[in-house]
Amino acid sequence: MRQAIRNKIRAWSARRHGRDVLPIKIHRRRVYILPTRFGVMLAMMLVAMLLGALNYNSNLGLAFAFLLMSVALVTMHHCNRNLLGLHVDVPAEVDAFAGREATFEFVLRNDSSVERRDVEICCTTAAGLGSVSARAVEVIPVVIPAPRRGVVRVAQFELRTRYPFGWFHSWTYVQGSLTAYVAPAPRGSRTLPAASGVGAEYRSESRGEEDFAGLRAYEAGVPLKHMAWKVLARGGEPAVRSYTSSAAQPEWLEWSSLEDQDTETRLSQLCLWVLESHAAQRVFGLRIPGTEISPARGAAHRVACLRALARYGTAEPS
Amino acid sequence: MNPKAVSYPQLLGIFGCLALALIAHVAAIPPWVLATVALSGALRLLLARRGRPAPPRGVRLVIAGFAIAMLFLQLRTFNGLSAGTALLALMAGLKLLETDSQRDIYVITLIIYFVSLSALLQGDSFWLLAYLIGVCWLTTAALLRLTTTLPAPDWRRCISYAGRILIQALPIAAVFWLFFPRFAGPLWHLPDDTRTAESGLSDTMSPGDIDHLALSDEVAFRVRFSAATPPPQDRYWRGPVMHDFDGRTWRRSHSASPIAPPLQALGPAFRYTVSMEPHRHYWIFTLDWPSHWDLPGAVLTSDYTLMQREPVSRPVDVNTVSYTRVQSSAPLSKLLRDRDTRYPSDRNPRSVQLAQTLRSTHPDDLEYVRAVLSMFTRQPFYYTLTPPKLTDNPVDAFLFDTKRGFCEHYASAFAMLMRAAGIPSHVVTGYQGGAFNRFADYWIVRQSDAHAWDEVWIEGRGWIRIDPTSAIAPERVEHGLNDADPSSADEPLASLWHRRTPWLADVRLRLDALRQIWRERILFFDPDSQQQLLEWLNIPEPDGHKLVIVLTAALTLVLAWLTWLVRREADPAPAEPLIRAYVRLCAKLAAVGVTRIASEGPEDYAVRVALRRPDLGSAAIALCRYYSSLRYSGATAGITLGQFEAAVRAFRPARAAKPPRASFSTPQDSRGS
Repeated sequence: MRQAIRNKIRAWSARRHGRDVLPIKIHRRRVYILPTRFGVMLAMMLVAMLLGALNYNSNLGLAFAFLLMSVALVTMHHCNRNLLGLHVDVPAEVDAFAGREATFEFVLRNDSSVERRDVEICCTTAAGLGSVSARAVEVIPVVIPAPRRGVVRVAQFELRTRYPFGWFHSWTYVQGSLTAYVAPAPRGSRTLPAASGVGAEYRSESRGEEDFAGLRAYEAGVPLKHMAWKVLARGGEPAVRSYTSSAAQPEWLEWSSLEDQDTETRLSQLCLWVLESHAAQRVFGLRIPGTEISPARGAAHRVACLRALARYGTAEPS
Repeated sequence: MNPKAVSYPQLLGIFGCLALALIAHVAAIPPWVLATVALSGALRLLLARRGRPAPPRGVRLVIAGFAIAMLFLQLRTFNGLSAGTALLALMAGLKLLETDSQRDIYVITLIIYFVSLSALLQGDSFWLLAYLIGVCWLTTAALLRLTTTLPAPDWRRCISYAGRILIQALPIAAVFWLFFPRFAGPLWHLPDDTRTAESGLSDTMSPGDIDHLALSDEVAFRVRFSAATPPPQDRYWRGPVMHDFDGRTWRRSHSASPIAPPLQALGPAFRYTVSMEPHRHYWIFTLDWPSHWDLPGAVLTSDYTLMQREPVSRPVDVNTVSYTRVQSSAPLSKLLRDRDTRYPSDRNPRSVQLAQTLRSTHPDDLEYVRAVLSMFTRQPFYYTLTPPKLTDNPVDAFLFDTKRGFCEHYASAFAMLMRAAGIPSHVVTGYQGGAFNRFADYWIVRQSDAHAWDEVWIEGRGWIRIDPTSAIAPERVEHGLNDADPSSADEPLASLWHRRTPWLADVRLRLDALRQIWRERILFFDPDSQQQLLEWLNIPEPDGHKLVIVLTAALTLVLAWLTWLVRREADPAPAEPLIRAYVRLCAKLAAVGVTRIASEGPEDYAVRVALRRPDLGSAAIALCRYYSSLRYSGATAGITLGQFEAAVRAFRPARAAKPPRASFSTPQDSRGS
């Protein structure tokens, strides 16, 4: 029942404000406020106080009751103010692995001279809490558990606060779509399909763009940074460290090479391979049904591959 | 750990606030209740200190049941303010015991607010109000520390923030207080609370009563005359009248008929307001003799004392009209004559003898009165606050042996002599004189002004006031007690100081004037005052409806002020005029349906406006271009800031017939189209 009402309010607010493009500044027309349960208790007490003071014809009692009423009114404004004019930004897409968490890092900027305390950000079931000092920027992480592979979309998030006294609950909805791509948990027992010549022990030593392959005799014109100074220092022949570039041999991580396993196991294996290949600075491509990512390397490529794995089998467009 | 659990410092803060609120009730709440509250608070704090939870539920229930039963056995009721407050305090104390979560503390804060209010319903001093507002301030600050789930800010910041809220609340509270309609009477019956002790005169008078009062500096009542002030010799403030005499003690008559014989006014009327302090008796002091008063339910007794139906337990203001010169041509009824000529024939034989001797030489009533008075003047009668102790026949002892006494001795002896001669007479107790407060134009009558005098019935003229004390020490009537006895040994210490240091007396008068202002303006702010307020605001024919309208209007204004204040704090306007003008331009465009996106620069925005609303396009592009050149290329902009501001002001975009929803426009869709 309550959830249904809440959903209705959310839908109504989504219709009212339309989609938001981040970053946004929280305008007063989108900040709502209602008393909390404690606020309702306070209101009932204030009514009782007012009646009592009127009955006793006590002007001092009335003054006190009115003062408390006014404090409640001012508090209402302050609770509303706690969100007003905040700038909110958040990276729209984050990546995670199944079984871990996806973390949205909300950036709240406060241009005003008043501190914003106890601002809570809620995305679906998860929430983050933080305060933003006057004229400051604060990052508030919201950690969403990601138990299963797939794509988690947050169509709407909520900023809310009960500051200062917990008498009122002020909130605003932001219709900003956030996406968490939950890649499969990287695990599997198979070795990389194109394990041609470059073993795991080399990969661990990899540095720069190329892999160390061995020493060869010095020739003129070799860059100084490739000189094997330690060999020279030991009194040996001048030698040069040689590197093999893996760019020469693109390799494909294939869905079809894991035919005897079920879908999630296959995806987990592919995910592990992607991470290993990326760590090895190799050029690799990914081929799964419906998606083919041509060979490349680098962080963006890794992310593209992981997202493809996360999306597999979901209705999400690539 | 439960995030809603309450920590030791939070508990300590809120318990402290509860203790402060209960201090205001120390006199009214049974001590064991306070002890219970203190004990359970201490117990809970001790447990919290050791990191232990509240005691188990069963234990708490048993303690609560026992304590509440005890309270009921003691008070026999939970109705009424004192009993209610005691119950509330007890419940707060027991709540302390079980306080484990935020919710419990919220409940305790509500109890603190309520306990503070109930103290104000019983009290009336400025300091009480100030103190309780302070308590409320601290409580609110404690609440601030409680609500926040993050590490709480330190106490000083909490208190200053709560103080800011309190200060912002003051104007709103003032509007409510001034314009919220008051009712004339209570909404339902008020249970009687016997909190104030009896003070001042009592309904009996025996030697030694009034001289105790003479040492008291306490204020009995204050009087403000609306026009003329009666001369000093007429400032007799009438209180209870004593009729029954047993040879030592005078008592009020219980067989009194309520109808007062009519009086005819001879002199001018005096209009004044008596501001009574509570004294737990029924009578209201008025200038001799009252004829009109505006106190509902008050009646004049057959001896012209104004009586309320209930004891004066709260401060009360009565507007009264009195005449200082009256006569009564009607004959005295037999009942009243009998009542005022009775005396115990077996006591004070020498006095009775004296009366009969004097009477035989002075058959005329007035002659006889004069003869008795001249006896007081001629014989060595002394006026002292420490008269010797009198024996079985006190009138005899006073008249023939000691010849020293205070007003009550003289009044008592005189009335006895009158009665023994068959002249109806009684003793009137009350106050005489009073001190004028020149700083605020009113009179202060203190307990030390208490006095007793006589009235005798003279056929054809009615009751005549005779003050035998003035026959001894006439200065007393003229100047009051302080100058009467040069030895000054028995004066109230305070008055002695004031006489020696005039500036201190001035300070005291000024303070009293402030108190009177507080009383008139604040304590007795009533429907009449509200009407005067509306008249002062030039509102014709003020009534209840207009009051509500004014309340609404004033509230709207003050809340608008608050909203403006809060908004300005939260969303300060840019300091630079150029940016302000640009923000205004964006607001105008947003109003017609194209809202600038936070990430959008002026040129992109203008392009989007042009795509959405071709009719506004050129103007928007021009203005936005001016803005960016003013902002980024400085002097070479080709337009001055003033011109730009004027152009923005002049720019009035018309609404489209059906404006597209601004919120759906994103850079993607506009650029894509």
